[in-house]
Amino acid sequence: MDGIPLLFKYTVPDKLYEKFWEGLKKGEIYTTKCKKCGTLYYPPRKDCEKCMSSDMEWVKLSNEGILMTYSIVKQKPQGFENYSDYIVGIARNSDGVNLMCWVKGEAKVGKKVRLTTDGQRVICEVIE
Amino acid sequence: MNRKVAVIGVGNSKFGKRDDVTIKELAWESVKEALEDSDLTQKDIDITVIGSTAYRGTEIYPAPPVSEYCGLVGKSPIRVEAACATGSSAAFTAINLIASGLADIVMAIGVDKMTEVDTSTSLAIGGRGGNYYWEFHMYGTTFPTYYALYATRHMALFGTTEEDMALASVKAHKYASLNEKAHFRNKITVEDVLKSRVISWPIKLLDSSPISDGSATVIFASEEKVRELKIDTPIWVKGVGYSSDTSYIAARGEWVGLEAARDAAAKAYKMAKISPLDIEYATVHDCFSIAEIMAYEDLGFVEKGKGAELLREGQTEKDGKVAVNLFGGLKAKGHPLGATGLSMIYEVTKQLREEAGPVQHSFKRYVALTHNVGGTGHYAYVMIFNR
Ligand SMILES: [Zn+2]
Repeated sequence: MDGIPLLFKYTVPDKLYEKFWEGLKKGEIYTTKCKKCGTLYYPPRKDCEKCMSSDMEWVKLSNEGILMTYSIVKQKPQGFENYSDYIVGIARNSDGVNLMCWVKGEAKVGKKVRLTTDGQRVICEVIE
Repeated sequence: MNRKVAVIGVGNSKFGKRDDVTIKELAWESVKEALEDSDLTQKDIDITVIGSTAYRGTEIYPAPPVSEYCGLVGKSPIRVEAACATGSSAAFTAINLIASGLADIVMAIGVDKMTEVDTSTSLAIGGRGGNYYWEFHMYGTTFPTYYALYATRHMALFGTTEEDMALASVKAHKYASLNEKAHFRNKITVEDVLKSRVISWPIKLLDSSPISDGSATVIFASEEKVRELKIDTPIWVKGVGYSSDTSYIAARGEWVGLEAARDAAAKAYKMAKISPLDIEYATVHDCFSIAEIMAYEDLGFVEKGKGAELLREGQTEKDGKVAVNLFGGLKAKGHPLGATGLSMIYEVTKQLREEAGPVQHSFKRYVALTHNVGGTGHYAYVMIFNR
């Protein structure tokens, strides 16, 4: 027999990392750096776990990188059923930051990539 | 540990799509077996720890109904969770309760009813097995995707192939065909794996463990109780290692092995005062075929990058150098998250007592290990047992 459905509806904080979400809309990737100890974080954080300070500044990340690994998602989860196949990757940019991204172009480990966005997420374009 | 701890009773339900029972009857199958195995009754149990991830079932707070059904009311004040390593987190808690002197006999029940939701919902829950905000929300990662990121990198750096990975699945199904409690009993070939549907490349359907329902129960006791109860073949806990890693997988900086598993293994070997080469039997966390290859390396059976070689040489078969997953592994025995870690202890107990029937491995030193990973190395538990 059918069980009673349980529908979860969520509200997610967006003001907290507003600069990041705004950056995505302009094709830019922002993250936070601790003003006190200089630690660069990605993903961005409100608080520095290293020196306990919460005095963070926003910095723009370099868009040059290398594709470290990837996977082509064929069976999509709930919420992504209407997308065609997408490639989830990890890119390392020239600041030494590792970012999750969607890969556009022919993915191969070690290829140079350009980091940009599609307005909603980080995209890494494989440079031929 | 302040006090020695032994396994004195084990039970394992039939794994599979168990739409014939709710989580309560499913738990009872292994609880009953463990009580009978140890010759105890519920009143002998001081505390029960219940491990369940629960999100895929209708009973999202499963401990009270399970406890009531199994006659353990008043004895189960805690439910624990560590994703796919939930069973080991229950064992870890139970061992600590005894080692600390708070209890003498503790029952750890691991149970999950995972097939009550559909696959798309299940993938969306698994995709949150990292960091919702920075991963799933933007990238629609699924749980296979996380392991696929490791597989792709392992292939690129060490030349591991899709055929190599397929061998792990073939081995799992071969042994599961001899295990009447396994989710799958069919044998498969490398070709079957390679031709199976791609889930998250390079991971295909037959590289993946199934979504299973099941339960496993382990009863632990202090050394004093082992003597008092005159237990024939206690299986001693010799080493317990644990660790964890970042939720955001990209932050780890390398994707060819699980640092949490390496750290947990080092702690367990140190406590047991043995080396990886002393292990004769291991249950490893083969949720995907690449995970079995990485486990050989992370546990130190071979150096990093050589895992596929060990598999190809057949060294992890029954009576090989270190036999691995002779009950069929997560891949074919099944992977009900809450039960898996305790099912591993069930398995090494059966092996060390020489009660494993057609899959009995031949031991010289009677040393075995369990390797249970939660998430994609977000949690890891390595435990060492001997007779
Ligand atoms: Zn700081």
